[in-house]
Amino acid sequence: MDTLIEILEDIQPEVDYETCEDLVDAHHLDSLMILSLISEIEDEFDVSIPTVEIIPQNFNSAKNLWALIQRLQEED
Amino acid sequence: MQYCEPLYFLIFLPIVVLIYHFTPQKKRWIILLIASYLFFISLSRFLIIYLFIATIWIYGLGRVIEKLQMERNEKIKQCERAEKKAIKKLYQAYQRRYLILGVVGLIGLLVILKYSDFIGTNINSLLENVNTSIPIYRFMVPIGISFYTLQGVSYLVDIYREKIQADHHLGRLALYMSYFPQLMEGPICRYEQTAMALFEGKDLTSMNIRFGMQRILYGLIKKIVIADRLNPFIRQVFKDYQQYDGGMMALAMVCYTCQLYMEFSGTIDVVLGSSQIFGVSLPENFKQPFFSKSISDFWARWHITLGTWFKDYIYYPMSLSKPLKKLTKWGRKNIGHYYGPLLSGTIALFCVWFCNGIWHGDAWNYIFFGMYHFILIFSANMLAPMISKFYEITHISKDWFWVKVIRILKTAFLVCVGELFFRAHGLKAGLEMFSKMITDFTFTSFKNLTFLNLGVDSRDFLIVMITCIIIFIVSLCREKQIPICLSIETKPLVIRWTIWYGLIFYLIIFGAYGVGYIPVDPIYAGF
Repeated sequence: MDTLIEILEDIQPEVDYETCEDLVDAHHLDSLMILSLISEIEDEFDVSIPTVEIIPQNFNSAKNLWALIQRLQEED
Repeated sequence: MQYCEPLYFLIFLPIVVLIYHFTPQKKRWIILLIASYLFFISLSRFLIIYLFIATIWIYGLGRVIEKLQMERNEKIKQCERAEKKAIKKLYQAYQRRYLILGVVGLIGLLVILKYSDFIGTNINSLLENVNTSIPIYRFMVPIGISFYTLQGVSYLVDIYREKIQADHHLGRLALYMSYFPQLMEGPICRYEQTAMALFEGKDLTSMNIRFGMQRILYGLIKKIVIADRLNPFIRQVFKDYQQYDGGMMALAMVCYTCQLYMEFSGTIDVVLGSSQIFGVSLPENFKQPFFSKSISDFWARWHITLGTWFKDYIYYPMSLSKPLKKLTKWGRKNIGHYYGPLLSGTIALFCVWFCNGIWHGDAWNYIFFGMYHFILIFSANMLAPMISKFYEITHISKDWFWVKVIRILKTAFLVCVGELFFRAHGLKAGLEMFSKMITDFTFTSFKNLTFLNLGVDSRDFLIVMITCIIIFIVSLCREKQIPICLSIETKPLVIRWTIWYGLIFYLIIFGAYGVGYIPVDPIYAGF
């Protein structure tokens, strides 16, 4: 989780990822940032994020994103 | 019949609501489907055949894709772990074939009906040099084809992605494709957003009827008081732009942007209000776009369902395709963590904006409109790190009031310029109007009052300005997340009815209708 927060802070430093629950809905993360994020996550956690998983629900908080990563790792 | 005509909101809609109410719940979807087909036939008559074809096409292919998924699941259950991946891959390839067939069929029909003339004319102008030509076919285009085609594509892709299951009920799918409130101008819905709710046949509630009617009234005010009132002036200036100076170009540009917003968002209010009466919530298409601080922000607030459609079905699938992922990896290594992903993002962004432009119509000015927004967003992305640095060095905060105001005004200006090309009679006219605005800008037409002699006089402009201020206050409240309708609901009966009757009389007194007025055609219905 710490690594994920570091990645997020690197991409968009102006957010408190411990508490924020509307990263996409409140436009803290735009589509380009999401692309960077996916690229970083895939490299760091050795998972592949399919297009179907790119929904606001999965990206709205660091917690949800972490759950997605864990789920993809298990499925792999 | 159009949404902002009395025939729709005073006759058609109330009759459908009444029949719906007195029909048993299980059969109500049939009433909505019949009403939707009658609405379609009233606008496009026998062209409804294309809607039938599209519905049956996605119904059949959706079932085939689902059948393959079930077969795959059965085989996976029975095989060893090592074989699973190979089976998944094999079945994914089968499914993809049917998905491609489905999407090509839908988009192909759209291209043939809507773009044959444009493609043929352009090919012939290229072939002129070699003294040859190809025959050009012109087809009648059914109403709403650009909207229901995108809905059909999203339905098939979502089944392929296993986000939804194929619908086994042809009637429910037909209603999803043809639901009359959204047929002409959207919003572009996803299957999981509306299909079940439409089929459910919810009971009418007094709250839904009240809120629905209030929303319809608000939309009618935007359309009939503002958009229709500005129409003669806009028509005249865009038609005979050579006769006027740059000041008039600027005024026409601002007036058209205002008209487009009021017409489109007003119609969407009527659409959403109509649907709310049946208890079906359609997705919002606007979120105070003129409070945007950048062009990207603007497109996240304007025609939202089109933007999210392009994002979900073009931008992300392209950016995350194998070749572009490789490019991103290479970019991150060689040009950094910001500009690396920007490379593949930009390629996908280009495709999105090309499609966005051409989706709006078969003319070069629409493609130019798309490319204009692509360049603006691309430039903003390229300059973003430098702009952040600038704010950092100067200790200026993006959240300061005046900084926000400047950013909002800058965005509004850029949007207005784009809309000038969007409305102009062709790309050449757009370029000439823009060039006039820069090189021939004078206040002469304002000083000698020419601008008041083009079908819109000082009284009209005053009514438009007052109404715009009302709309601005409502938008500001929404932006600050103040629920206006709910807070009016809590007021005493006398105040509530005074407000609503006041607005009805406002519409009747200040609406631009009757002899001497030419209402603006539903702009997005033409797309």
